[in-house]
Formats: sequence, structure tokens, C-alpha cells
Amino acid sequence: MATEKNNIALKVAALAEKARDGNRMSFQELVSIFQEDIHRLVYYRTYSQMDAEDITQEVFVQAYRKLKSLNDTQRFRPWLYSIAVNRCNDFLRKRKLLSLLQFKSAQEQEFMETGKGMSNNYNETIAKKRFWKQVRSLLDKLSAMEREVFTLRFMDHRNINEIAAILDKNESTVKTHLYRALNKVRKDSVFFQEYRESLS
Amino acid sequence: MKSQNQAHLKEEQVIWAVIDEKELTGEDQQHLLECQLCKRKVEQLKAELQEIGETAMVSVPPLTKNITLPPEEVPQASYKSRWLPSFGAAAMAGLVLFVYFLGMETTMSPRFIALQSPDTPMEDEYLMEEIFEMVENPLSDALYQITGDNGGFDEDFLEFIVPDIQEDFQSNNFIEGGIKQC
Repeated sequence: MATEKNNIALKVAALAEKARDGNRMSFQELVSIFQEDIHRLVYYRTYSQMDAEDITQEVFVQAYRKLKSLNDTQRFRPWLYSIAVNRCNDFLRKRKLLSLLQFKSAQEQEFMETGKGMSNNYNETIAKKRFWKQVRSLLDKLSAMEREVFTLRFMDHRNINEIAAILDKNESTVKTHLYRALNKVRKDSVFFQEYRESLS
Repeated sequence: MKSQNQAHLKEEQVIWAVIDEKELTGEDQQHLLECQLCKRKVEQLKAELQEIGETAMVSVPPLTKNITLPPEEVPQASYKSRWLPSFGAAAMAGLVLFVYFLGMETTMSPRFIALQSPDTPMEDEYLMEEIFEMVENPLSDALYQITGDNGGFDEDFLEFIVPDIQEDFQSNNFIEGGIKQC
């Protein structure tokens, strides 16, 4: 398992190096490796399929243009994730501003959008909507940084070292935010009922 | 081996164990290895977090759009040649301004410069001076030389314009006699 991860990391670094030297095909290959991950990362923050697709596109375009500024190609993944996280934050800031001006809040609109194109199965769609509603209520309890580290750790499946690199923080800061986040969410979320029962 | 009831991990230690077991003290790490109850709590919390992640992953709608990269940029001219037109334009503008100011310096008399100044009394003084000069001498020095005017009345000139009455009479007789003779 660890060897497989190492091989992927080496492959990514090699592709990033070629892409940095101007090889378009190598970058296209990097896109195919990371596009699903980045799309998911964006969706976890926007809850909107349309916005997630647009932002994913923007992330790769920005990465393509700024690739020459990446000194260590072995850090391509955290570098790409940091672009995506920053893009999402910019987008959410704009959307928050817009929702103050519009009659229909952006949150309502995005919730209506959620589930479109997922599946024709009505029950499955409802279940997914319910799930995202629960996730949102869980994350709403957290501060911006706590939400970010929680999402990166448990939804994007990044380790502490990578999260520190993505957010440009040190590892102990990341751990502290993660501790605070877990301490808040475990108390009254629907997700941790069994865990709470195990404590009693 | 410790008694399990005495040294179970507290809730905060369970959370730290989920984040990173190395954050626990050596004693707590040892307890976690040995105590099934505490291990179960940690595993339970990890499993529920894992479940959130996995459910989230399958609940994301698939990416329907193809990622397209921007078109390849046409290689631009080198740094030096990119600056060349701007440099040329700046040099040309500088030259035009230089010629303009050089011309102004040669054509402008100090009086005119004084006239351009916002000092109005100086301007008035200059104008009055000009007027007096023109009243006294309407012709320029060169033209004045040509006229040969010495400042007084030229008698020959006056005589030519207004001849003497006697002279005029004699010349009339001479003319009349001449006619008679003919």
C-alpha cells in the first residue's frame, strides 16, 4: 500500500516536472489523475454541481498558468489543493456577499440544485440530500479554520502533513484545530450517535 | 498491567488518539494498546468519521464537464525587442519637445517673456513704452535712414512742394511768351 502511494507520488512528480518544462500532454495526464479529487473538494465546500465544475476548471487553468512558479514538483498535490481551497474561499466570499443582496439566498438555491444529475432513483436522491444537509449542519458548528481542517482530513482524506502544507500552517496548529473541531461535532451530531452510546 | 477502570482514557484523549496517537503520553499509548474498551471507543470514532468521508465521496455528482486547458500561448518577442517600440516612441516624443522648447527660446524676447508673466503692471508699462516709441518715431531705424530726415524741415523739399510765388509768376510769363512767340 505504501509502495503504491510512493509510486504514484513519484509519477506525479515526474509528470509535474515535464509539465513545468512545457509538456502539455503531461499536464493533461495530471488533470486526469486529479480532476475527480479536486471536483469533490470543491463540491464539499460549495454543495453545487455547476459551481463545482466551473471552479474545478478554473483551478486547473490557474495551475497550468502558474506551474512554472512551483519549485518542488514533489509538492504538486498540496500545491494544487491549496489553489483549489483558495478558489473555493474566494467563491464562497462572493456568494455570501451576493446572498445578502438577493431575495432568494444562495444557500437555498444551491440546496435546490443539490441532487440534480446524481441519480434517477428518487430515494437515493433524497438520501443524498439529507446527508448533505446533515453535513452542513455539522460543519456550521465550526469556525472557518476548523471546518477546513476537518473537511481536508476526513472528507478529502489528507494527512496532517499534507493539510499543513495546503493551508501553510504548522502541524501542531492543524492538530489543535482538528481537536477543537472533533470536540464540537461529536457532542450533538447525528453522525456520532453510536460513538456517544459507546461512551455511556 | 493497570486496572482498566482506573486509567481509562478521557474523552479528550480519545480525540487526540484519533488525530494522532503520538500526541498521547507513553503511558496512555500503552493503555490504549492494552485496554479493549478504550480501543473500541477510538475505533468507533474513527469508523464514524470514515463513514462520513465515504458517504460524502459517493454522494458527489459525477464530473460531467471536460477540463480544457487554455490554448498554447504564442511565444512573445524577447524582452529587448518588446521594449524597442516604446523606447522609440519615447525618444521621438523627447526630440519633439526638445525642438519645441529650443524654438521658443530663440524667438521669445525678454520683453515677451516679461509679457507672458502674470505681472500685469510690467505688461502695461511695456505697452505704454511701445506706444510712446511709435508716436515719436513711427518708422523703424532703417526706414528712417532712407528718408534722410534730419529732424528739421528740408527747405528744398518744401520749395518743391510749395513753390515761391515770384518764381511761379515768371515761369508763367515765360510759358505765355513762348506760346505767343509760336
